[in-house]
Amino acid sequence: MRRWRQPQSPSRNTRLPRRAFLADVGMGFTGLALGEMLLGDGIARGATSAWQPPDGRAHHRPRAKSVIWIFLVGGMSHMESFDPKPALNEFGGQEIGNTPHKDVLTASFVEENLRIVVPDDANGHIRHKLFPLQVAFQKRGQSGLEISDWFPHLGSCADDLAIVRSMWTTDNNHGAQLQFHTGRHVLEGQFPTIGSWVHYGLGSINENLPRFVVLGTPIADCCGGIGAHGANYLGPEHSGVQLGVDPAAPLPFAMPSADVYREEQQAEFTLLNKLNKLAAVEYPEDQDIRARIKSYELAFHMQTAVPDVVDCAQETEDTHKLYGLDQKETEPFGRQCLVARRLVEQGVRFVQIFHGSNGGAGAWDAHGNLKTSHSTLCGQIDRPIAALIQDLKRRGLLDETIVVIGTEFGRTPGTQNSNGRDHHPFGFSVVMAGGGLKGGVAHGATDALGFHAIENRHYVTDVHATVLDLMGLDPRRLEVPGRKRLDIDFGHPIREIMA
Amino acid sequence: MRLAGAILLALLAWAPALCAAESVDYVRDVKPILEQHCIRCHGAIEQESGLRLDHISFMRQGGVRGTALAASSDKSVLIQAVDGSGDVEQMPLEADPLSDEQIATLRAWIDAGAPAPQEPLPADPREHWSFRKPVRPPLPETSPDAWSQHPIDRFLAVEHQRQGLTPMPPAEKNLLLRRVYLDLIGLPPTPEELRAFQADASPDAYEKVVDRLLASPRYGERWGRHWMDVWRYSDWDGYGQEVRESQPHIWRWRDWIVESLNADKPYDRMVAEMLAADEIAPADEEARRATVFLVRNWYKSHRSVWLDNTVQHTSKAFLGITLNCARCHNHMYDPIAQREYYQFRAFFEPHQVRTDRVPGQSDTKHDGLVHAYDADADTPTYLFERGNEAKPDKENPLSPGVPAVLGGDTLRIASVELPPEAYYPGLRAFVQQETLAEAIASADTARKSLATRSEALAAARQKLAALADTASPPAAKSPPAGNGAEAESAEPKADPPKQEATTGKDELQVALRDAERNVELAESETLATAAELVAVRAKIAADAATFATPPAANAEELAREASRAEGVAAVERARHKVLVAENGVERAKAAGGDNAKKNIELAESKLTAARQVRETAQAALAKSDDSYTHFTQVFPSSSTGRRAALARWIASEENPLTARVAVNHIWMRHFGDPLVQSVFDFGRNGQEPTHPELLDWLAVEFMEQGWRMKSLHRLIVTSAAYRMASTARDESNLARDPENRYLWHANARRMEAEVVRDSTLYVAGALDETMGGPELDQNTGQEVARRSLYFRGSKEKKMTFLDTFDRANVTDCYRRSETIVPQQALAMVNSPLSLAQARRLAGTLADQLQTQPTPESETAFIAAAFERVLCRPPSDEERDACLAFLAEQSRMFADPAKLAAFESEEESDVPPAADPHARARENLLHVLLNHNDFLTVR
Repeated sequence: MRRWRQPQSPSRNTRLPRRAFLADVGMGFTGLALGEMLLGDGIARGATSAWQPPDGRAHHRPRAKSVIWIFLVGGMSHMESFDPKPALNEFGGQEIGNTPHKDVLTASFVEENLRIVVPDDANGHIRHKLFPLQVAFQKRGQSGLEISDWFPHLGSCADDLAIVRSMWTTDNNHGAQLQFHTGRHVLEGQFPTIGSWVHYGLGSINENLPRFVVLGTPIADCCGGIGAHGANYLGPEHSGVQLGVDPAAPLPFAMPSADVYREEQQAEFTLLNKLNKLAAVEYPEDQDIRARIKSYELAFHMQTAVPDVVDCAQETEDTHKLYGLDQKETEPFGRQCLVARRLVEQGVRFVQIFHGSNGGAGAWDAHGNLKTSHSTLCGQIDRPIAALIQDLKRRGLLDETIVVIGTEFGRTPGTQNSNGRDHHPFGFSVVMAGGGLKGGVAHGATDALGFHAIENRHYVTDVHATVLDLMGLDPRRLEVPGRKRLDIDFGHPIREIMA
Repeated sequence: MRLAGAILLALLAWAPALCAAESVDYVRDVKPILEQHCIRCHGAIEQESGLRLDHISFMRQGGVRGTALAASSDKSVLIQAVDGSGDVEQMPLEADPLSDEQIATLRAWIDAGAPAPQEPLPADPREHWSFRKPVRPPLPETSPDAWSQHPIDRFLAVEHQRQGLTPMPPAEKNLLLRRVYLDLIGLPPTPEELRAFQADASPDAYEKVVDRLLASPRYGERWGRHWMDVWRYSDWDGYGQEVRESQPHIWRWRDWIVESLNADKPYDRMVAEMLAADEIAPADEEARRATVFLVRNWYKSHRSVWLDNTVQHTSKAFLGITLNCARCHNHMYDPIAQREYYQFRAFFEPHQVRTDRVPGQSDTKHDGLVHAYDADADTPTYLFERGNEAKPDKENPLSPGVPAVLGGDTLRIASVELPPEAYYPGLRAFVQQETLAEAIASADTARKSLATRSEALAAARQKLAALADTASPPAAKSPPAGNGAEAESAEPKADPPKQEATTGKDELQVALRDAERNVELAESETLATAAELVAVRAKIAADAATFATPPAANAEELAREASRAEGVAAVERARHKVLVAENGVERAKAAGGDNAKKNIELAESKLTAARQVRETAQAALAKSDDSYTHFTQVFPSSSTGRRAALARWIASEENPLTARVAVNHIWMRHFGDPLVQSVFDFGRNGQEPTHPELLDWLAVEFMEQGWRMKSLHRLIVTSAAYRMASTARDESNLARDPENRYLWHANARRMEAEVVRDSTLYVAGALDETMGGPELDQNTGQEVARRSLYFRGSKEKKMTFLDTFDRANVTDCYRRSETIVPQQALAMVNSPLSLAQARRLAGTLADQLQTQPTPESETAFIAAAFERVLCRPPSDEERDACLAFLAEQSRMFADPAKLAAFESEEESDVPPAADPHARARENLLHVLLNHNDFLTVR
């Protein structure tokens, strides 16, 4: 909905001297961006309030300019990826209550941590019979970070990674996917997502491309749907724009029908521009005309820029191989990672890539056959993510790009359906790399079974706070009047992993 | 840790205390800290420990621990609380502590003697303006001029004078006409309407147009869509086919909204019907559609989410208060206790959602009347501690109630006895008739089938007899008569396989056996359907007697008859099924094949089950009493009356908020800006009205005119204020009121999503004006030319085109966003919709002008195009630019070999013209549909 007034939509009445305005028309609005560069509107909260929408500038010195946010849909096992638990092998097959670690069952987190959506669901329970690790771990790199054997390529980037092993959330079901992006439990409704806050707070670097892009199939409507890349009350212009990686149809209305000539359309744009500028002279005080003229200029460029940026044919064969575009299993995700690099290279602020969407809870949701499914899925993403990090690094972009690998929750130390693991909100891992972050570090810890996050516990908004802080933003300064946020919404930056 | 912190803090505190003593200012530095972190629990609404921190006198006075401000900061309770150094629990509770810097500021201020200017005591929150009933203010005296004729203008003129503003002159006639058309019906005027208006010199030319537009059915569609925003219309959402939010068939509510507006149903009545039509008009099926306002909040997995949405949006939409802020704790700004949130919830606690049959469709999955009703009068309401549904306060069940600050004493709740047809839908004539017709049809079919099969049997016997008279040829291998799986279906094959004249005796004998079986089955089916028909008739008679008021004398007797007839029908049906199952066994045995054993076992187990059912039915018949199965579920015969009481309280002239909130919504949609910016929050955290007297005058006027919205629309759009030009070319005004808060010019606005799409279709003459009906597939919006409000819309299901232009956010849309983004330009430039309409319209205009493309006719074409799309003639510069464009495009298309087409997968509905001139004209129309002045309402 529209707030008191649209923070980033141009004010219709802000005064601008006619002469200056005409000069702008003549200059074709060089340097003017749509929202943040037109004058902000100001009123908002009556005479006593000085609230202004963000001006697009960082609040403090940014350590990064872009984010690539990879989300593994369904819940990746922390114990088979980034948080090895040898105790599971030692006590495999035993009931937790019969092991020396039985205290985890009575820890206060069990109740405090949890808000159940569907009571008595088949899933989302504590599983008591411990399930041994399904994969081995190696110490990797100079740092000796332990990463599972399902991630050999990513393992080779260990010295660039910061692993947070003490994440927790509160939903024992897949509404946690929405929660990971908004910071709020699904029962509390929909809220702006991390990408939309970045979009809201920071200006554009490349006006010909959307600032917040979504790649891959978004999560299903069961679990948050488009809300997981939405902007909610910040307004639709701050939502993620879904792009396809097919240059022929990367976004809706990207091209007219095949019976239109390029020259024909170009001439139409030229006439339209002329007529709209005449209207702008007729109504010099109307800022919306300026914005509309600008939006048509951008649209014209987007028509070429968007298909262009998703077109990987321009990349070398070596690069194709690096991302695994030559292999069937790595090709789809590899292409998305490569497009993500091309996007941040061109100045896109926030790229959100979904992996594992399957119309339901997500492919990572390994209630059974964890070994088969996780090893296959890891095979799809390991090489592409490693390639992304290496490629960013060799181009000097890793210093200004934050890569996040997240999932909605971990999986139970105990077994479900004999060879799977259930949902586990009490402890899981998130991996980050890039601008302003330390490499080769593991921060926080779960207990010996991987059950509860016990050391340096972090709720999901701490990841948001870290990202925003590195991007130069203070979330408290982005708060919108009338939309009171809670302390937990802001989170706390994880200083220990920041360089 | 804490000790080290305290020492550090003390050191830090020293420096600012010394140098900042002079510079710490209470109003600038101290008050904001207290307001942000402390006032919620220590302010006008709550006084924990008896302490208030919203005025210096209260701080000095202190609470149960004595004064908050000692002479030195170290000894002040305030400081001890915020830095955790005293024996007080560290404040604020359950929130981040104050920063060192903030604590240092407080210390410095206290150590400087806590200086504060004289300020009036904070106002009693209960006296907030919007919590007091509006009283009609006298019309202001203004000097006689154009702004003294109309009550609205007089209120505005007073502010103009006070602020030193000169209002703009009236808008040009064509712009005004386009404005009022788009405003009232959501479509622009036709050139004929434009010319007629411009030619009409009568003094009431404009008023006649307004009356005509308000009488148009298009008005209900236009304003219906506005109210659908406010009332959160959303088609169902879910996971695959599973409904998780809202409900199917809620388009009937949309139609109710449109119809009600067109009929000028009073607003108070509309509100009341939406909350409680099932209680206030229980016999009115049509009115019950209104309760989808509540149904829309249905939420599969969580009743609390459902009811929270109901509470939140009932209070925001009708009352402009944020009751939802009191779910976890007392309201932070308004004097509303957490308990009152749950008391408001209690109005809705008994209600549930159901879908009744509608004529012509017995399966409510396909269509039905979905509505709200009270299912369980006894469900208790508890306060949830900290809003957590897992922690209900079961010691103190709550009764329904409205926030005391809004005047809740008048509420009287009385249970409502419902008419039988309302609680037992099976009593409705169409249900009985359709059920009866179905039973009659089944019986007919069965009888006809029996006749056909009897003939087939006679024929089979004759053939066999004929064969016996001749020498039989060698027997061919018998074709299988079917397998076990086929025999599972209730009926055997209706017609035996066609037999050739040369068929052998074995085959004929198989055919004869089949024919005999078929007849046997048809006989039992005939008996069953006949018995079922008897049962339906008996039930109709019994229903009529039982549900009569008072029940008929023979009700019990008829009920016993119905019970018995139902029992007989059940036995006949069970017998038939046994026969079918026996037939299945026989077929399975005859079929043989690889799975024979398994198929036979399966068929036999079915036979056993069928026999069991038969025995049960027979036993039941022997014991039949006066109970029988009803045609539909029978729901509770009374309703709690809670929602009716709430509806009466909200839709009342005594309610301080209802009329003000409605008037503000309507005002905003006419002028582009509301009188109270925070349209869903008239509470203390909301904004003050720019024109409080005007708001109250309008609210009282609205109520006294019987809450008629058409009167209010007419009043507003006939004001001079509404008719002003939207140009804002006045340096002095701009300097004084750049935001136009005092309405010295009309606000130019972008068309809403639906208006963009509908008008594009309409100017091309393509809009299909069919009204109402089930929601249309959202993915067909580029081809199907119905108005946009008729397409499916929910969180996930949305038309991309409308979404691009900021369609309503279905979870919460009290005010539309109005953005300008490049995706909108792409949608208008590249969508098949705009291309097709431009091409269509170019053809229509050329036909109307009936000329060959010459320079003169191109000028006429350009004028016609501007008039149709923009409702205005082109300026000379525009005309010249368009002429040059047409010439240039024609030349370009003359040599298409030089042109490069888009490599696109998109196809267009209307192909481009082959003739270069005609195609150039299409391009011009396409440009005009993208023109700023098309998308803008001036």
